Amino acid sequence: MTMYRNLKKFALGVVAGVTALSLVACGNDSETANASDVTKISLYSTGSQNVEAFWEKVIPMFEEENKEIDVELVFVPSGTGGQSTMDRIIAAKKSGEDSEVDIYEGSLADMIRSEEEGGLFYTLDQENIPNLKNVQEENLNGTNNLAVPYRASSVVLAYNSEKVSDVPNTADELYQWIKDNPGRFAYNDPSTGGSGSSFVLTTVYNQLPADAMNSQDESIMEDWDKGFDVLRDLAPSLYKEGVYPKKNQGTLDLLANGEVDMIPAWSDMALEQINKGLLPDTIKLKQIEPAFTGGPAYLMSVDNGVDDRKKAAEAFLNFVLTVDVQEVVIDQMYGYPGIKWDLLSDEDQEKFKDVSGGYRIFNGGELGSKLTEEWQKEVATQ
Amino acid sequence: MSKKMKASLLGLGLVLPSFLTLLVLVIYPVTISIRESFQDEQDNFSLANYVYIFTEPLILQNIRHTLFVTVVSCIFVLAIAYFIAIYLRFSKSRISRWMNKLYFIPMFIPGVIAVYGFINFYRDNGWLARIVGEGMVPPIIYDVKGLVLINIWFNIPFTTMLLVAALESIPNSIIESARDAGARKLHIFTKFIFPLSYRTMLVAITFLFMGMVGSFTAPFLIDRNAPQMLGVSMQQHFSVFNEIGQSSSLAVFMFLLCSFVGYFYIRSNMNNSKKDSF
Repeated sequence: MTMYRNLKKFALGVVAGVTALSLVACGNDSETANASDVTKISLYSTGSQNVEAFWEKVIPMFEEENKEIDVELVFVPSGTGGQSTMDRIIAAKKSGEDSEVDIYEGSLADMIRSEEEGGLFYTLDQENIPNLKNVQEENLNGTNNLAVPYRASSVVLAYNSEKVSDVPNTADELYQWIKDNPGRFAYNDPSTGGSGSSFVLTTVYNQLPADAMNSQDESIMEDWDKGFDVLRDLAPSLYKEGVYPKKNQGTLDLLANGEVDMIPAWSDMALEQINKGLLPDTIKLKQIEPAFTGGPAYLMSVDNGVDDRKKAAEAFLNFVLTVDVQEVVIDQMYGYPGIKWDLLSDEDQEKFKDVSGGYRIFNGGELGSKLTEEWQKEVATQ
Repeated sequence: MSKKMKASLLGLGLVLPSFLTLLVLVIYPVTISIRESFQDEQDNFSLANYVYIFTEPLILQNIRHTLFVTVVSCIFVLAIAYFIAIYLRFSKSRISRWMNKLYFIPMFIPGVIAVYGFINFYRDNGWLARIVGEGMVPPIIYDVKGLVLINIWFNIPFTTMLLVAALESIPNSIIESARDAGARKLHIFTKFIFPLSYRTMLVAITFLFMGMVGSFTAPFLIDRNAPQMLGVSMQQHFSVFNEIGQSSSLAVFMFLLCSFVGYFYIRSNMNNSKKDSF
């Protein structure tokens, strides 16, 4: 009998608790109803962890200045299906629904896809985003006013200055160095990170005319052979005779442990790790000639047909191009700024002298993943 | 309502939640990937994805590699775990009591952390190389040896646990009476212990096989770039090459592999329950 009474007490307690909870929930509802002038937008971003940390810093800065806008960050780590965000936008467009993606961080290939699908993004202009005038002109090329290039980074050579005295200046000198120092160079599996894929890409396209990188014509695939011959030829001189570590961090770890002396690495990742002491300070960076690929990261404003959210997204894009945020790009991400160099302090300009050799931009779109697929068959399996 | 009717309704009600969960989380996605595996890029029916996975040398190598790693790891795990289980069951020494308390610790270490620890230990200039001298250790990381080794490390605790439970259920009286009748150790093992724990080994193999054939983290971080385990290859086809159909057909193939092993498990269980009910 006591057990029954206890049970009854327990049930009552549960009912009371649930009621109380639901009242609290109601309270929250009415609060947000009062503040109905808050516009909620969502930002879909992808990349390595430093990109996520960057947004986690910038979004509160923006919300502090724009109380009426609430930005939600949806972060998709690289290599875990960033393509699905694009698929989602396209699917929503086709069915005439709201994709609920307001700002999308993507690539030039996404802009080409947008044109093919009949326009997924709003056209941007200086009237709505005044700070667009600050952007480096060359980064705007190819965007068709669909995107804000807000930061950039490039793949560069990272090497141990204690072990490497004859630092290569050109790609050919690099290939020779690899052969002269067997086992001391590694690049990561190109399907798992951008620095390895840039090494493969630039090696293949170094054997082709200079403007081949701007071609999306699939017939160019026939000319890749020469580049793959070079890669196959290099393989026995690589780390463990052709082991390609996974992810950008994989090669950086080997460099930090001293298992190799030279790797291709993202400038922003390497600079950050040198500054945080994760890489020894004997590690130096250098861009070679012809340069590795790199390029700006782009933000697009997705066309969902909702005016409030469009305005909020434009306010956010404008904010990203302010000097304040660009200093975060430099200080926290170690990325190249998206705005003109002369708008920055002398001190910040100084920070990039090692890697200011520039970069080449690959505009091959889908060919990038085809190249990786080909690499897996041609080079990895040999 | 008759009593029987009520009982069967109750039974149905109890099964329903897990069945619905299964429907939404397993059967529905499996159906989708089976459908996708038979479609080309224009969503028309096509066998191209299966032709690809059974003719492309890359994938054939991957399949052979996956089966090799899985089977070799299964054999090692089973042999080692069985040996430990026998020791734990029949030895009453202090070491065995300690082992009994400690052997399942690896189960509580998160996979990625264990893999990174493993890499740091067995790397070419890692802990082991520092202890025994560099160049003395054969390559383990980025090598099949490393993958098999970590598979063993990951799977021994659970398998041992299963086998210890099975061995504990063999009554001491059986062994003692056999000993009284003059049976030698080898005899006791082959005539009593092995037959009485054989079914649990079958269960263990099923779990081991299914867990290893589709594993991702360890093969991704430790194995070479080619040939790859199917889990890694599937991820690559899905999110790097954006070949949804091909990765679906790989998934279906893996599903068939697992159900082939699962079939023996279920058949053995069925035989067992038939014996119980008659």
